[in-house]
Amino acid sequence: MIIDRPDSHFIFVMHPSVLMGKKYTLYEGKELTNGEVLQYWGKWIVLGEKSWLDELARKLDQYVEDQVIPCIKYDRKPPENLGLTEAVMMVYCDKRKSEEIWQILQQHGVKIKAWVTERETMEMWLPGGPLLEQWITSMNLGEEEARFNREDAAARLGYIFNHPDEIFSAWEQ
Amino acid sequence: MSITIIVPGSLKDLLGGSDQVTCEGKTIGECIADLDYKFSGFKSRVLDEKGEINSSFMIFLDGQNLRILDGLATSVKDGDEVNIIPFAAGG
Repeated sequence: MIIDRPDSHFIFVMHPSVLMGKKYTLYEGKELTNGEVLQYWGKWIVLGEKSWLDELARKLDQYVEDQVIPCIKYDRKPPENLGLTEAVMMVYCDKRKSEEIWQILQQHGVKIKAWVTERETMEMWLPGGPLLEQWITSMNLGEEEARFNREDAAARLGYIFNHPDEIFSAWEQ
Repeated sequence: MSITIIVPGSLKDLLGGSDQVTCEGKTIGECIADLDYKFSGFKSRVLDEKGEINSSFMIFLDGQNLRILDGLATSVKDGDEVNIIPFAAGG
């Protein structure tokens, strides 16, 4: 189902069971640990006009309902504060299923083939990481707010790196 | 040896207004040199002053980030597709 809450920057496509608390970071039905997420989890990156991504999301929704695609999220508008002029869709899945998911995306007109691991993304958002620092600059945060955001990122993401055997839990966005 | 380069709409200016072009080369580095010949300034935008991939971009061969392959020395073969996206899109 498509979850489009105007107060969120992101629009999600999720299976209804995820709203009931079930995890979507699964492989062969088993919940992934933090360590397995860092090893296997990632996403196909799709860039385009918001209207095209809306249309693509409607087509992919059935694959999410059928639990072939675990989760999708995309921008409500291009994140210009990160220097982007197109909206970005992230089609999440396990690396071991990624080619199967790619075939689906290709059938629906996706041309750019770009796989980004969750580990890479987390490293971009750690203190000193290029995206967190760019975001702090773009938001014109004061020293105190910047420090708070760096500490928050270090705590949230650091927990995942430091507790590899715990079951992964995504956070609210 | 024909390699296809595909970029999203926001990076079409890199390729003279096209989102898909072909180039020649046996490695990604050679492809970038060929593209620089065809599209003046391509190399200086995609590579940094050290000759490495500019931190503003991510380059993929068959979906895999060049940073986890052999970077610019990564071999390509006839028919391969190379994708370039803005770095921030990966976050």
